[in-house]
Amino acid sequence: MALYAQLFLNTVQIGSVYMLFSLGLTIIFGVMRVVNFAHGELFAAAALLVAALVPAATAHLGVPIVISYALSIVAAMVAVSLLGAVLYQFGFRLYLRDMTGSFILSLGFLLLLQGVLVEIFTGVPRVVPPISEETMVFLGGRVTVQRLVTCAAALVLATSVIGLIKYTNLGMALRAVSEDYEAAMLQGIKYGRIAFVGFLVGVNLAAAAGCLIAPLFTVTPFMGADYLVRAFIIVIIGGLGSISGTVLASFVVALLDTLGGFYFDPTTTTIAMFALVMLLLVLRPQGLMGRSD
Amino acid sequence: MNARTSSTALVVLAAAILGYAAYRPTSFAVTVVTWITVRSIVAASMRFVMLIGEINVASIGFVGMGAYASGLATASWHWPILAALLLGAVVAAASAAVFGFITLRTRGAYFLLVGFSFTEVMRLLYTQVEAIGGNDGIVGIFPPTWLDRWFPALLIGTGMTVLYVLYRIERSMLGKLFLAVRGNERIVEAAGISVLGVKTLCLVIASFMVGIAGGLHAHAANVISPGDFGFVVAAMVLAYVKIGGEGHILGAVIGATVLTIVEQYLRGFGALEHALFGAAIVAAMLFFAEGLWGLVHRILDHVAIPPAAARKPQ
Repeated sequence: MALYAQLFLNTVQIGSVYMLFSLGLTIIFGVMRVVNFAHGELFAAAALLVAALVPAATAHLGVPIVISYALSIVAAMVAVSLLGAVLYQFGFRLYLRDMTGSFILSLGFLLLLQGVLVEIFTGVPRVVPPISEETMVFLGGRVTVQRLVTCAAALVLATSVIGLIKYTNLGMALRAVSEDYEAAMLQGIKYGRIAFVGFLVGVNLAAAAGCLIAPLFTVTPFMGADYLVRAFIIVIIGGLGSISGTVLASFVVALLDTLGGFYFDPTTTTIAMFALVMLLLVLRPQGLMGRSD
Repeated sequence: MNARTSSTALVVLAAAILGYAAYRPTSFAVTVVTWITVRSIVAASMRFVMLIGEINVASIGFVGMGAYASGLATASWHWPILAALLLGAVVAAASAAVFGFITLRTRGAYFLLVGFSFTEVMRLLYTQVEAIGGNDGIVGIFPPTWLDRWFPALLIGTGMTVLYVLYRIERSMLGKLFLAVRGNERIVEAAGISVLGVKTLCLVIASFMVGIAGGLHAHAANVISPGDFGFVVAAMVLAYVKIGGEGHILGAVIGATVLTIVEQYLRGFGALEHALFGAAIVAAMLFFAEGLWGLVHRILDHVAIPPAAARKPQ
């Protein structure tokens, strides 16, 4: 029983990070029809900033680790948002709804950002000092409090983003634009502005996932690529642009990851997952919940 | 320049390069030309699939298959080199037939993402199989001794032939059919032609060519490892196509040539090499979206023909 509880908790935890990451990707696609390959670098940038800032803040400001962690997260989110705004204004804005052009552009950004991140942070893996070493028993499994807190934070964040999309005017505008942007414009929605907002929401989700992952795993400038491959599998399964599909697929992939990682090894799991995706494509080319456009 | 003079000039240029490669096979310049040749084949093949309107990131996966199959045939089974190269091409094309038949039901963003995953999964797969060297890859893939002196010329000649064949197919009725699929699938379907079949055929032809490129690469480098076939390579190849210009097959060649030469100067920048490459792609997308080929054309049009006559309907 304890084993299953551990596996379950692991699934929820990885799943919630996958969900934040892939939701960002899928929202950007929905609103802009752009597959952002630089998404993983924004995620890595946030994680690296947190990993670099937490020890610095603790050392220089003399504040408790929780405070320095909070400050680092705020700084990382602001920095990555600014970076995202630059990428949009000086790049993606010109390639809205142009899949080929934006793809190549985002590959350019990927190489550029990765090189810059390696240059600034070096390739050496970093570890963020843990906030607390405490463990507790949850559903019969033993977990660190830190893991539980990050997991809860990811779930709360994802729920609020979904709430935002479902219930606010802004969310309605985002949905309208991803459904039919011309009809949305006829209703007086400013497409350029909404696309920008949608892009920033997506970027912030990547950054948030990065901040949450930083204290749990080692952080390197190359970590973005692993998550990007996973996120692509998730959006293929869930359907690009579909929020509920992405949420569902995130947890399915996280479950496969957890089980595969436990019984086999991560590489075999990735390969097996791809075989499953191919099978799914034969049966349902548009993904589980995707539209077929 | 009219069509005849420019094609004569091209043939003369090609003959000169070949002659020099046969005359000085070990010079650095010839080595760089062999790299450019392999990359041009891959870039031209990626552009070839763009004729049906898809971006084929999986192409690097097929380069890897060609390289591994022909490398294994030479290094472990001691096949004659031409048979080994042919095996690489056939393996790549056959895998592409299966891959295409399944994945070309999707299009646009999905096809691109599946191709991306495919390339990464193939790379992972190579690291897992001990029979093909796992993480270390295959070493000791040498062309036979009697051929050693002529190998660069053979490689470059093969590359030129491949590019010419791709060009001829593009200009043929089949090429028109590919363009028709990109323009409007439904019309093609209504004419009683299987769109999935046409698309798969296009992918298979392109993959046969990159299979050859993979085999040539394996025999020129003598060593291959899984890292040579990651998605970053796909990004680079796409940069050759985009920076060179999508409009013409020579754009892919120009892009591969210019960026390979630029790369020689960027060596020693370490991680910044990739960053500068990325910056070059971004700059190309922002400032000259039709690529170098488009740029050259625009300049030529301005110089040679009065502007009013140059405006062709697009």
